[in-house]
Amino acid sequence: MSEYRPLSLLAELTYRCNLQCPYCYNPLDLGAYREELDVTTWCRVVGEAAELGVLQLHLSGGEPTLRADDCCTIVKRARERNLYTNLITQGTFLSDDLLDRLLGAGLDHIQISLQAAGAPLADVIAGAHVHERKLDAFERVLRRDVAVTLNCVLHARNIDEVDQIIALAERLGVRRLELANTQLYGWAFRNRAALLPTHAQVERASAVVREARERLAGRMEITHVLADYYEAFPKPCMNGWGQQFMTVTPDGRVLPCPAASAITTLHFDNVRDKSLADIWQHSDAFKAYRGTEWMPQPCRSCDRREIDWGGCRCQAFLLTGNAGVTDPACSLSPDHHLITDVVSGERSLEFVPRRR
Amino acid sequence: MSAPSFAKGVRFRRLPDGQGTLLIPEGVVNLNASAAAIVELIDGERSSAAIAHALSERYGANETEITRDVEKLLKDLAARTLLVLEEADRQRTAATEQR
Repeated sequence: MSEYRPLSLLAELTYRCNLQCPYCYNPLDLGAYREELDVTTWCRVVGEAAELGVLQLHLSGGEPTLRADDCCTIVKRARERNLYTNLITQGTFLSDDLLDRLLGAGLDHIQISLQAAGAPLADVIAGAHVHERKLDAFERVLRRDVAVTLNCVLHARNIDEVDQIIALAERLGVRRLELANTQLYGWAFRNRAALLPTHAQVERASAVVREARERLAGRMEITHVLADYYEAFPKPCMNGWGQQFMTVTPDGRVLPCPAASAITTLHFDNVRDKSLADIWQHSDAFKAYRGTEWMPQPCRSCDRREIDWGGCRCQAFLLTGNAGVTDPACSLSPDHHLITDVVSGERSLEFVPRRR
Repeated sequence: MSAPSFAKGVRFRRLPDGQGTLLIPEGVVNLNASAAAIVELIDGERSSAAIAHALSERYGANETEITRDVEKLLKDLAARTLLVLEEADRQRTAATEQR
């Protein structure tokens, strides 16, 4: 039996989406994920996750509510197994009927994204006229007995209006706000030159968020996901590879990190072939970077090795071609120039919309 | 202090190994044994005094000390928006109206 127990499962029901956000972390080869798991298999996976000790189930994608009936069935199954259930959605399909069914099934929490504070910019980023419809979804969800988080992904195009995004959250009356700097994977990595904010932008936004946190303490919880390209130390990705977290992709592959399919040097087992417990405990992919044994220098002798866990394996692979080196976002990494060169490099005004 | 209750999206769960946890939107908060004993009694109806009384009976401990611990924990969790303390919310509303 593994000493590691997963706490959380991210179920990516589909990579299909009616929006085209350029910051999406989904893989570029979306077509490779069309053979989606059926709802019976998802329910089996949820049961196996509960057996393994998983406490929380996050439904995501793509846009999970494109499989609305399946969302409701899976939430119900998860609640029967006493799991905490969270729906991560962009909110364009949240009809009253669907909300009734989701809450009836026992959904604990909904996270809805906005792309910016106002329609003109938000709709450019989303690639569709949806901002007003999203605001409408917020108002209807906030009237109900369910916890809601407003999520806004920050990047060069919208980070300067972070104060307006916070003001909008206050006006709507949300109690939880997540301001997440873009994590540069998948489509976001492809659009890096258009999305990466400048250092000055990041500093200004951080000051605004600090002030808002103080002012709104006890009324609104603000989570601020930092831009790791500008931090001295890397993010402790997934709190360590294969230690607490797993993702199941729409076609059934089990990943230690939602962005891990980019790592072409690893093979990821599929829930169609093996049980979740077998994959968690025995698969080569999960064992590859678990704990600290795999670490090269400077991580191996670093005091922060069990704080940062070497940073992100997917980012190491994307930037160096080797998932087994220190995350270049770390200022101690011998590859750190791969970050500083980009940070000081040319920016682009154009981005490639994510394919639907 | 009137009856504390969980904020929306917050649930208490005791795991098979006895560990008490709060399940929240961002993850899992592990509680130590005494915090778990307090939080487990929150049902939206018991007052903090009633929770302290129940615990002092159960453990035969000094009720004044337990009351202090209970109120401190409830305040900490409310400051993290995990609990709703009605009285605190009323005061805040009054303060807002004064501005």
